[in-house]
Amino acid sequence: MKKNHGLLYTLPTGLWVTVFFLVPVIIVFLYSFLDRGERGGIVWRFSLEAYRDMASPTFLHILVITMLISLAATVLTLLVALPCAYYMARSKRKSLYLFLIIIPFLTNFLIRIYAWQAILGNSGFLNNLLIRAGLIKNHIQFLYNEWAVIIVLVYSYLPYAILPLYSTIEKFDFSLLEAARDLGTSHPGSILRVMVPNIRAGIVSAVLFTFIPTFGAYAVPKLVGGGKNSFMLGNIIADEILVNRNWPFASATSILITLVTTAALGLYVLANKSAARAAQRKKT
Amino acid sequence: MKKIPVLAMAIACALAIGVWAGGKGETSGGSKVLYFYNWVTYIPEDVLQTFEEETGIEVILDEFASNEEMYAKLKAGGAGYDVTIPSGDFVSIMIREDMLQPIDMSKVPNFKYLDPEFLSKITFDPGSRYSVPFFAGAAGITVNTRQVPAFEKSWKIFTRDDLKGRMTMLDDMREVMGDALKFLGYSVNTKNPKELEAAKQVVSLWRDKIVKFDAETFGPAFARGEFWVVQGYVENVFTELDEALAQDARFFIPDEGGPMYLDSMVILKGAKNVENAYKFINFISRPDINARIADFLTIPSLNTEGRKLMKEKTAYSYEDLKRCEFKEDLGRDVELYESIWHEIRIGK
Amino acid sequence: MKKSRFSKLVFFLTLVFLFMPLFVLAVYAFNESKNMLWTGFSLVWFERLFTGSRNIWRAFWNSILIALTSAATATVLGSLGAIGINWYNFKLKKYVQTVSLLPLVLPEIIIGVSMLIFFVGIDLHLGLLRIYIAHTTFNLPFVLLVVISRLDEFDFSIIEAARDLGAREHQTLLRIIIPMAMPGIISAFLIAVTMSLEDFVITSFVSGPGSSTLPVHIYSMIRTGVSPVVNALSVVLLGGTICLVFLMRPFFKYIAHE
Repeated sequence: MKKNHGLLYTLPTGLWVTVFFLVPVIIVFLYSFLDRGERGGIVWRFSLEAYRDMASPTFLHILVITMLISLAATVLTLLVALPCAYYMARSKRKSLYLFLIIIPFLTNFLIRIYAWQAILGNSGFLNNLLIRAGLIKNHIQFLYNEWAVIIVLVYSYLPYAILPLYSTIEKFDFSLLEAARDLGTSHPGSILRVMVPNIRAGIVSAVLFTFIPTFGAYAVPKLVGGGKNSFMLGNIIADEILVNRNWPFASATSILITLVTTAALGLYVLANKSAARAAQRKKT
Repeated sequence: MKKIPVLAMAIACALAIGVWAGGKGETSGGSKVLYFYNWVTYIPEDVLQTFEEETGIEVILDEFASNEEMYAKLKAGGAGYDVTIPSGDFVSIMIREDMLQPIDMSKVPNFKYLDPEFLSKITFDPGSRYSVPFFAGAAGITVNTRQVPAFEKSWKIFTRDDLKGRMTMLDDMREVMGDALKFLGYSVNTKNPKELEAAKQVVSLWRDKIVKFDAETFGPAFARGEFWVVQGYVENVFTELDEALAQDARFFIPDEGGPMYLDSMVILKGAKNVENAYKFINFISRPDINARIADFLTIPSLNTEGRKLMKEKTAYSYEDLKRCEFKEDLGRDVELYESIWHEIRIGK
Repeated sequence: MKKSRFSKLVFFLTLVFLFMPLFVLAVYAFNESKNMLWTGFSLVWFERLFTGSRNIWRAFWNSILIALTSAATATVLGSLGAIGINWYNFKLKKYVQTVSLLPLVLPEIIIGVSMLIFFVGIDLHLGLLRIYIAHTTFNLPFVLLVVISRLDEFDFSIIEAARDLGAREHQTLLRIIIPMAMPGIISAFLIAVTMSLEDFVITSFVSGPGSSTLPVHIYSMIRTGVSPVVNALSVVLLGGTICLVFLMRPFFKYIAHE
């Protein structure tokens, strides 16, 4: 008779995440419905003010900017990551290339942002180079706008997109492509129709791995953004917590971000399910 | 062969636990430490070193860039700091919130050197029961005269088209709003929505010309030649400059005036190293030490004896500060400022 | 084979994109002046890093301490959890699975904010302890994932056989399951250490007096004075990590081939 020790094994983990993760998130949820204290913090009085504040044009503007920046960063990341992963998966020096992709990420993430500041600054590396080459006369303002944020976000999350794509593409049976071509499909056409459906799982995880963190980005816009149109929801939360002490509003914004990212995740689960169903149908 | 990783893991765990226990002992055990929460670039490193050499007390330093940041951090987990340096408006808030310990002036004999004329003007802590004044001053504008040879000493500089993309202002709502209010001839502590709306219009014009609101990196960026006109505290800029650029950089407080601050040292409730805190506050108030700090900051000293020991010329004088006005606590009306500030920040 | 030429081009351009910042960092670490203009070779920033930067090293040791302890805790708890989830069916299994993977899908800032609010609520003020708890929490899901995927590759019947031969629960665990899962457990531990050393957002929310970790300290350095000491530090860190990876090659081989 096999005894069931499952609960015993998972008890420590279950307790830990419940106490230190689930409970805090529930508290944040509760706080978003409370009133703000005179000098910050919260007062135990039901209030929808935090959510009403969200309807302000300023907040909606930041929400739209955040959406656009994270979508642009995700799309760009994917456009770069797909050919990279494809090349890596088909090459003979796979482990070397994997290693090369990972090396830059062995330095601290803030140091990498700092490096971008040094490159893109008004008197930075790139402007110096362009001026020295005689291509431009005056500096170009690269930093502190939405494009700087997007570029650095792409930089930061590129490997998170390349790795899952690589592992699905590597498993892909390339003879299918050749078969499609033999049947007269053009090269891009065959890739689109044969390969993409097969590596869909990889694409979806790549999208999630970039969209979720970029949507809640805080350090990147703080350090290379901050001008017009480069202030994101993450910065609002940090400001409300670290400066204004408007906890209900910070909580409500956190809940909004949580909803958006879980919605993205929900789509992923749905897509997986329908993919599985499609596969089933093919088999039968 | 398979035992090696198990062994390695066991060693790692044991090591981790050992280091952990050791680390904990270090933070709670020794009384030869002082947890000090200071503004960015406010006391030179070598002054702290002198303190450590004289007393054997190690100063553990964290830094903040605005009063709001300091206050939020203290409220959300800063218990453990002994000394910090809020501006006047925040001293009164912190007294009201019961965050400060009364100061036993018999343990701060050097208090007697502080300028009585200034002490008499203090409204946030009458009679200095909770705070020992550190320095007073005002934010102003630093101009790189190599790039910008001609300019008016006015806030109007932030509407100049030719300097677009080369200027920054502090990411500090009371400072920037205060500048605009003074520019329009209002009080920096106004609660009148019409005056605030007018100030918002002014700041919006400035915002279109500056690169960003920044209370942190403008000094080094000015030093690198990135920015040519920056609004902020003089010490944050000049401590970063090399000698050549320091020659060409000019600091001024605009003729319209602006908000000013008086920062004071306070001992926090719940401080574990109170005796060390007294030693530190008294040390900082000592004339020779005060002079060293004033020389580093290049701002006027409140210390009557310290003034005489200063070697450097100050970036501005008390005369300049007469145009300025102390920031006061706004109470709940601070929300008026906050919503305006948010709208400005995101480009509405 | 137009496509492959195109992807080759993209790949090598990407490598340039990825390495350019490192290159710029490294070059300016050896520059004499503070500015971005090259004035001459110098080791002055390294000297300052090793002699005049007490706070950096304090933060460094804080980071190491937190990384080892939180990774060890997360690895032990997470591995046990993974074994439980993988081998057994029980009532709350779905709950444990979902909740423990959730931290993976929330942006860091949400985790940081909720932990901060929670710690303030329970009046926990010890900076290092807060960071330790936070890091263990965000490391747990990674450990779970890695160890579960390792266990998935194994044959249930070995354990059944062991049980049939009369092995007790703890014997099966210690003699069979854990050794089998060991490569997964070790890589989980390494991933957890890396995640912990790397984290800035969550740590910056929960850290307290004197408990800055290296990333938090680096942030305070780059936000105030851009100093080439940061460049020197990054060169040292990168060199150190590469050496470490090199030294641990046998370990990686073991993980990969077992």
